[in-house]
Amino acid sequence: MNETWRIIELTENNAYLNMAIDDAILDEIGDGKSQPTIRFYRWLPNAVSIGRFQGMNDEVNIQKCADLNIDVVRRITGGGAVYHDYHGELTYSVIGKEELFPDGIHESYRYICNWIIDGLKSIGINAEFAPINDIIVDGRKISGNAQTRKKGVLLQHGTILYKIDISKMFSVLNISKEKISDKMIKNAEDRVTSVSLQAKSSFNELYEAILNSFKNGKKYEFGSLTTPELEKVREFEKIYRSYEWNFKR
Amino acid sequence: MYGSYKLKVHNGKLVSVKIIYSERIESVQILGDFFMYPEEAIEVIEKSLIGLGRNSDRTSIADGIKKTSEENRITMVGIDPDSMAEAIFMAMK
Repeated sequence: MNETWRIIELTENNAYLNMAIDDAILDEIGDGKSQPTIRFYRWLPNAVSIGRFQGMNDEVNIQKCADLNIDVVRRITGGGAVYHDYHGELTYSVIGKEELFPDGIHESYRYICNWIIDGLKSIGINAEFAPINDIIVDGRKISGNAQTRKKGVLLQHGTILYKIDISKMFSVLNISKEKISDKMIKNAEDRVTSVSLQAKSSFNELYEAILNSFKNGKKYEFGSLTTPELEKVREFEKIYRSYEWNFKR
Repeated sequence: MYGSYKLKVHNGKLVSVKIIYSERIESVQILGDFFMYPEEAIEVIEKSLIGLGRNSDRTSIADGIKKTSEENRITMVGIDPDSMAEAIFMAMK
């Protein structure tokens, strides 16, 4: 399909805006008013996002987050809780009509995750896809990804770990013993790795590598949010800031 | 009474249930890091479980969830009706 992708270059936003922007783009594409979009972003201040079906108090040390000025938000997508450190990760979203992607949930995860894998390989990191929704290096997770499908639109967003602050990550997340038990690992720290542990690339070099692999083979143009998208962002941000949404489970 | 149970689905995700029940289920929440499309369907499944007898076996709980899933065209990833049923059954033991 010869669609022109819009690429929104790296921005930094708070947690509620980041989620509202994804939601607004999805909604506008669903209404046929926006083009397929790739966006890159960071979280400022640092934040924890939880999956659509998780319990906020089960997954997150709320008091610790408040003490450290860390936002907490429930995502539109399923999956697990993620600590988003401003200096520690690159986050992306890919949003487009379902027909732009392979049929099937597993195949579409693999398809988009391969863009990340190609980018990581270009900076010397031998990453591989680990179904359902992870990318790993030597068995350790370097990228987590999550999808939703609404109005005929697929949204996948995910994070690529650049540098891990293990102690902060595990002080704000309540990692359950069930989560790690079946992976036969001794502790939660053994589950993750990062670009800075695997290569000498700077954050900007990682971003350039991922940007290049995402746009590879596509017709694209750089752009920004449209006026109708911005109006929806303002509307949706209120939901993502609300206690009713974030603590509904 | 209150019951809860958490399990890790083989090659899948975590599912956790929290149930308030007497002779029958009065309320239930199904939580975890799984995926479900459409996401709003989780509330449909939870509502469908209200009124289920506390002594229901795994198979009948799973059959109910399968029926609701089919009727509402629900897709689950990293979780399935059988694992949900197992967690619900164990939470009321």
